[in-house]
Amino acid sequence: MSTKHNGPATASTPPSTGAAGGEPAPHDSGDHLALPRTIDVRVLRQDAPGQESYWERHAVAWEPNMNVISVLQKIAAGARAQDGRQVAPVAWDCNCLEEVCGSCTMLINGRTRMACSALVDRLVEEHPDGIELRPMLKFPVVRDLVVDRRRLFRSLERVKAWVPVDGFYDHGAGPRISPEEQEDAYPLSTCMSCGCCLEACPQFTRIETVRRDGETEEAFEQRRTAAFDRGFIGAHAISQAVLFNGHPIGKLIADERMEAVTDQGGIQMCGNAQNCVAVCPKSIPLTRSIARAGRAATMWAIRKIFDR
Amino acid sequence: MTPNESSRSFFARNQFLIYRLFSLSGLIPVGAFLVVHLLTNASVLGGAASFQSRVDMIHGLGPLLVPVEWAFIFLPMLFHATVGFMIIGGGLPNVGSYPYVGNIRYTLQRATGMIAFAFIIWHVLQLHWMGEPLGGGRFDPHHATSSAAEVVAPLAISLLYAIGVLSTVFHFANGLWTQGITWGLWTSPQAMRRANYLSIAVGTLLAAAGLGAIGGLRGTDTAAARAVETRMDDQRRLLEGQPPSPLSGTPAPGRPVPGRDSGAEDAIDLRSGSDLVPLLIPEPAGAVAPTTGPAPLSGN
Repeated sequence: MSTKHNGPATASTPPSTGAAGGEPAPHDSGDHLALPRTIDVRVLRQDAPGQESYWERHAVAWEPNMNVISVLQKIAAGARAQDGRQVAPVAWDCNCLEEVCGSCTMLINGRTRMACSALVDRLVEEHPDGIELRPMLKFPVVRDLVVDRRRLFRSLERVKAWVPVDGFYDHGAGPRISPEEQEDAYPLSTCMSCGCCLEACPQFTRIETVRRDGETEEAFEQRRTAAFDRGFIGAHAISQAVLFNGHPIGKLIADERMEAVTDQGGIQMCGNAQNCVAVCPKSIPLTRSIARAGRAATMWAIRKIFDR
Repeated sequence: MTPNESSRSFFARNQFLIYRLFSLSGLIPVGAFLVVHLLTNASVLGGAASFQSRVDMIHGLGPLLVPVEWAFIFLPMLFHATVGFMIIGGGLPNVGSYPYVGNIRYTLQRATGMIAFAFIIWHVLQLHWMGEPLGGGRFDPHHATSSAAEVVAPLAISLLYAIGVLSTVFHFANGLWTQGITWGLWTSPQAMRRANYLSIAVGTLLAAAGLGAIGGLRGTDTAAARAVETRMDDQRRLLEGQPPSPLSGTPAPGRPVPGRDSGAEDAIDLRSGSDLVPLLIPEPAGAVAPTTGPAPLSGN
């Protein structure tokens, strides 16, 4: 391992401890007595795509109000494994730190969830022997806890998860949407593309395309996209198709979305395990969306077969 | 959608349709057959005569029975199983990491599907005449209760049947629920919950019918049942103008070829019609053990 300097930019700013900076140990001996002074963190690391993964242990000093992101920041600041060896900081993705951007998804103690909203004290209550961090299984690993979620966004492209309003004309005010429709649609619009539903879905399996020797970037991308397009689109894309097919302007291309939803890897791949709705951090009614898309697909297929 | 449409396989191009047909075939005709089959079998609880009369009704199809079996039972079942195994192969159960009820049901649906597949093959070969070359084919449609009772008489066989029946029933009842989601019949979580009660009720009823049939067969006095069946068989032959079957207490293993050609020429033990007329009155329900009726017949 190369001996790098102390961790990157995040090294010196402990987040979320507020005004009560720098407490060495818990001072109240009340309910928190059971909390440990250091937390044993096991991270499944991988140096680059396609390489072997390996476990690494880190001892992180406990602070009040930690979340998994602040644990990772401390690991990066120390950049030392539990045995004292100097190691490269663990890489991870995060952005908003308030569970709306969807970028910090990882497996925490074996389950998919957002690292920012995974509070350490709760985790330690559930698993007193420490915290285990792994990258998502359903996406190719870029490095450590960072994964390539390109396929997730490709699925949104496949179902055209947008309202088609490109153009130069002023179309005037849009149609009115009743409060009932708004209430129905709003939960679906809170999807943050975190990928938890895909990670937990037993029908959504990993697709990793490896670039061949001498293959151009364009050819590789084309081959990768083709591989994605044969795979399951996933609960998030089905739900977005339902959202935009329910929108008065979005439904102008409803048929194109139904074509995608019933194409190879479409809604028929759903196995009704209903894990998606169980793990969704935003509590989006994904199974309701899937059933509604199923009904729409039934009608769509009848139309397609008998109306032509 | 994809630019190279023609290069995709037939299965890839028609995946949606094939999966929907798979889903439909689980209900019609395979599931519908399962319901009829289990309820027919449960009639054995009403006595050997009651079961026999239902079997006679089915075998009344005569030469049509084989094509009907293949068109509405075996081929749809094979289609359902083939696509089912493809679906199982494409999934990656993760019930260890996500032990939610829905996920457990997802995993059980696949496990019971595979158990049901193995069970049904074994069951068909053991009872249906197609299994004769393999030493099976033990169901005699003219001695429905007694021949079936002999098959399930060993406790181990009964237990295997119980496992097979319960797996099949779970697969059907759970499939009913998931099918309603697939086709968009029930969409809201509340509706799914209500539909779940429905599928539990259907599953419980069918499980009771299936286990009841096994229990009923185990509780059957085989000799008495055989006597009832022989008498019914003779009546049927009389009505069809055929000679009665060779009389004996020994089972006639083998061909359940409906009536027509099984009238062996050596069985010319014709009795007077007047002797038989009273027997046309149906046997009272639960009459498993009357030894008076067939006594003169087996006396020879």
